[in-house]
This record gives sequence, structure tokens and C-alpha cells, in this order.
Amino acid sequence: MQIKEIFSSQLPVGEKLTIKRNRFSPTEEKSGNKRVSIVSGIHGDELEGQYVIYLLATWLANNPNALRGTIDLYPGVNALGIDSITRGFPIYEVDLNRSFPGGDKEFLPGQLVDALAQDVKGSDIAIDIHSSNIFLREIPQIRINKEFSEATLPLAKKLNCDFIWIHDAVTVLEATFSHTMNKLGTKTLVVEMGVGMRLTKEYGVQLLNGILNLLKSEGIIVTDEEYEQREPFSSEIGDVFYINSPKSGLFVAELNHCAMIEKGQKVGSIVNPLNGEILEELFAPNGGIMFTLREYPVVYEGSLIARIFGNPDNEKN
Amino acid sequence: MKKIEILTIESLNRSPLTIEGYLFEGSDPKAASVAIVGAMEGKTVLPLYSASKLVEFLRNEIGNKEKIRGNILIIPSINHYALNLGERFWPLDKTDLNMIFPGYGAGETTQRIAHKVFEALSGYDYGISLETRNDLSSCISYISLLQSGYEDIPSARKCGLRLIHHKEMKPTDTVSLQYNWQLWGTKALSIICPSDTKIETDGYKEIFESMVRFLYAIGSIEYKVMLGYDSNIVYNKGIEIVKTPKSGIFIPTKKTGASVAKEEMIGKIINALEGNVVHRIFAPCDGVITCVYNNGLILENALAFRILKNASA
Repeated sequence: MQIKEIFSSQLPVGEKLTIKRNRFSPTEEKSGNKRVSIVSGIHGDELEGQYVIYLLATWLANNPNALRGTIDLYPGVNALGIDSITRGFPIYEVDLNRSFPGGDKEFLPGQLVDALAQDVKGSDIAIDIHSSNIFLREIPQIRINKEFSEATLPLAKKLNCDFIWIHDAVTVLEATFSHTMNKLGTKTLVVEMGVGMRLTKEYGVQLLNGILNLLKSEGIIVTDEEYEQREPFSSEIGDVFYINSPKSGLFVAELNHCAMIEKGQKVGSIVNPLNGEILEELFAPNGGIMFTLREYPVVYEGSLIARIFGNPDNEKN
Repeated sequence: MKKIEILTIESLNRSPLTIEGYLFEGSDPKAASVAIVGAMEGKTVLPLYSASKLVEFLRNEIGNKEKIRGNILIIPSINHYALNLGERFWPLDKTDLNMIFPGYGAGETTQRIAHKVFEALSGYDYGISLETRNDLSSCISYISLLQSGYEDIPSARKCGLRLIHHKEMKPTDTVSLQYNWQLWGTKALSIICPSDTKIETDGYKEIFESMVRFLYAIGSIEYKVMLGYDSNIVYNKGIEIVKTPKSGIFIPTKKTGASVAKEEMIGKIINALEGNVVHRIFAPCDGVITCVYNNGLILENALAFRILKNASA
């Protein structure tokens, strides 16, 4: 276990910003050993990854002889954001995950992401753990850019998540950590799970099992433990259906997150607390699994309420 | 002048957000048309003020409809909700509206806002977006023109501002208003305004006059103002970055727009608890200060100044 500051900046008044990495290395270094980097907290309001990394650090500390490769943990990239419940980099108000690849001559957030990218560079695999945001709750899922899916999809299937979403290449997403690292030759996966500002323990344990499974199958750890794996839904064989709020108001959910849902089933209502009026009732446009559900109840017209994955026009997927 | 409603969105607890445009219909259908967008962010007070003064000018100063030849649409504010709270971005989810164009009519709230605004802005010959920098610095007023392949430098020169930053595209620029406007055939540019949130009486004039000059130069209005600068085209390599190796209280001793000589002192950093000077910042080259960090407290390695090197101008 070796803790290193990968980025630091003295703050104006008696404090220092530091971004830390913890490296777990095998007792016996061999050429050809693989390296995996696990990153979380690029968004300061997303904490689920902190718990997963805690669980992984505990496992690694308790199983030092299992290591056959290097594992780098970066639990709190946006350290100031995490401690101030701020999604972006405080003071500058910028989204770090839209600031990659950054550079030494850029403004401070650009220098920070550059330092992270340079430190992770050379890893064989990277996993960037997100928690959606404070507005939406997500089942454990992997997001993959189609551009890199040939290399990353086989890895994603080992991570014990419920859903793999392969999305089209979008230029604006080239400013993300995952795109930058994939371009630099590190196979990088993005995990989305849970909800902002909270921990979901069962999801943390589920992803830990997936990460250990991946590490074992890549020969980075050696262990007799068997890790049961879920068979994820994949967006290759179905469609994603969106429910956006048709009205502004207060969203009251009718269903639990992650439920299997039938076409036409009621998802919830938009209500007005002032006069007790139901402004709109919302129904599933398609059957399938509701993998995203609105968590923060205040909505505007257009706010995302839910996402359902299923086969089109299938009543009962 | 016609006031047109572009979009209304209801809110659970706030007044509805109604985005309005001021349309000045020109007397000559063949004359160039222009659309101008003011505040997209909540802290862009100068863009808001400059756009609203242009509305007043066209309505009261020019008055005579014959002198307005081409259609002119001005949307002084898109993001009232943020302006009224002193927030920078869309208050609920902190979305930057200038990172969501061309929008999507069936998408998220901010995508719908961008979609409706973009519909209203489409089809104009020229477009001006008034913005501020997003890196916690203030600057001299200048044109930012993306190297998109669709940009039009000759029209950008017509504003007569001192600098045109011919900016390399970043991935996030592909969802900006300027880029999407250009993609759809409008000769669009951004005027980057100083990030002042307090306005002095004449604080808007340079921006305001550059827009009037532009409107006259493209034949949209008959109202001549004094000639502006023969704009310098600037690229990133011509800008010297000055970082501070120390954190503390930042006191710039030179302002934006100042000409400086190499090794001239331009700022200092004070120990925030003990009051002593911990670092003096000297100009690394001869040039003009284009941007200054816009906060009294500064972090180690933050960008304190940007200087346009003389040889590059």
C-alpha cells in the first residue's frame, strides 16, 4: 500500500488541496504485470464509488498475497467538491468530466484532470465509478461508447452489473475521463449506479464482486473465491424508452426503482401541493426494466422521470 | 418593435419562465438580418445590460423605422431563473445552457429551452452571442470565433473590437450556440465581455458600440458610429500564460487592457493570514494584458494573467 499525491494546490487560506492515489502492488514485481486504476468522485456529489473503493481497499489489504498486478485507487478526484456537496469543481464551477484531457497551461481544473489522466495513463484497464446525480437513481450499469466497445464490452460483462448501455459516439463526450483514457490506450469503463449524495450498500457489494471477478479473470489477483455473476441486459438487443415530465410540479413515484414494468403501467403522478391537483399521470410507454427512476421530486416540464429498457412493443418483456 | 414570446415553462414554486425576444422588423427585405443573444448564464450581467441597452437604442434612439433596414431580433436573457438567484447555470441541475445547443424538443428541460431558442434564432444572416469567460477571469472585450470551418472572419472584423480570438475547437464547443448557429448557416460570433457583475454607467459602451458598428457595417441599420479597431487575429500560441506559484490574496497591479513591458510587476500575492508579500508577479514578455484572474483569493498554480505577446498582435 503506497499513498501518493498526484495533484496538489495550496489554497489561499491555510489549507492544501490534494488528490491522492493508493497503490497496491504485488510483493513480487514482474514485467508484464497488469495495472488497473479505479477512479471515483470526479463529480463531487457522487459518493457510491467511495464505498466501492473502500471495500476494495479492505479486500486488498486483507489479501496481500493475492496480488499479481498493480491496482491504483483514486477515490476522491474532486476532493473539494465531495466535501462541499458540489458536483463541479468549486470556485470555478466547472464539470471536471467535461474538462479532459486538460493540460499544464490550462486553468486549474484543467491542470487537475491532466494530472489524473497522466497518472492513470499506462494502466491496462480503468473503471470510473459514477452515481448518476442527485436527481436520478440508477441500477448498476456500465456505459460504453460504441467507438471503443470492441475492447471494453468483454470487460463490462464481467463486472456483475445489471445493464450494459452502449451509446453512440458523441463529440461532447470526448471531454470525459473515459474517452480520454480510451484514446490513450487504457480500456476504460464507466459505471453508473445508485444516486447522488448517498450510499447504496447492496450496489457497492455487487460491484465489488464484479471488480474482483474482473481482476481474477485478468490474472491480477489469484484467489479460490468464486464470484457469482449476473447476466446483464445489453442495449444491443433492445431499446431505451424515456419518460420526461410533461408538466412542472412534484413527482410522486408509484413504483419502486428497478422494477419490471408492463406497457401502460402507472409510473407516478405530477401533483400540485398548493391545491391538491393531480396535474398529470405518467404511464410506461413500453414494457421492460425501469433502470432509471427520478429521485428528486421537484420537476420542470422535460425533467427526466424514468428510463425503461425493453424490446419495442413488447407488453411483458 | 414586436415583443415575441419564445418559450414559457411553468414552475412549481416560481413565476413561469418566459423568454422573450424583441423583433425590430426592417424596411428592406433584402437587408441583412441579425439575431443577438444576451445573458445565457446567471452571472453575465454585462451581456444582459448591453443587450437591453441595444433594445432601448433601436426603439428610442433610432426610432425612425426606415433607418432599421434588416430584421433584428434581440433576446436579452434566456436564463432569468439563474440571473434572479445570482447562480451561474440553470439553478435546478446546474446545466450550462451554452453547452446544450441545438437542444432537443422532447428532451430534458434545458434541452427544450435550447431547442425553442435555437428555433427562434435560426435563419438569420448574422448572429451575436454575448458571453463571459468560464475560467474565473475577466478580460478585455473581444471576439471569440471558433475554428469550425464555418466561421467568417470578415464579418467578425466589422465589430471593430481590438482582438479576434480565432479559437481552436474543443469537444464542448460542439454544443455551443455559436458552433450550431454556424452549422445552420448563420455567420455567428461571440463577443466575450468582462465578467463584471457591478456595472459602471458606461461599462457597457464598448460592447454596445461594437454591436451598433456591426449592424451599420452589414447594412442592417443606418446609424454611423466612430470606426473601431482594425482587429488583431489572435491564436493560442500568441498568448502567454502567467501562473502563480503561491496561493493567497491576489492583488493585480495592472488591469486588463494595460500594455506591459517584460519584467514589469503586474501583481502580487499576499499571505492571507500574515499580510506579507509572498510572491510578486512579473510580465514574462512585452504585450497587452487580456485576462486577469477575477477573484481576491487565488490558488497555487492558478492562471493569474493572460498576456497577448506584442509580436503576435
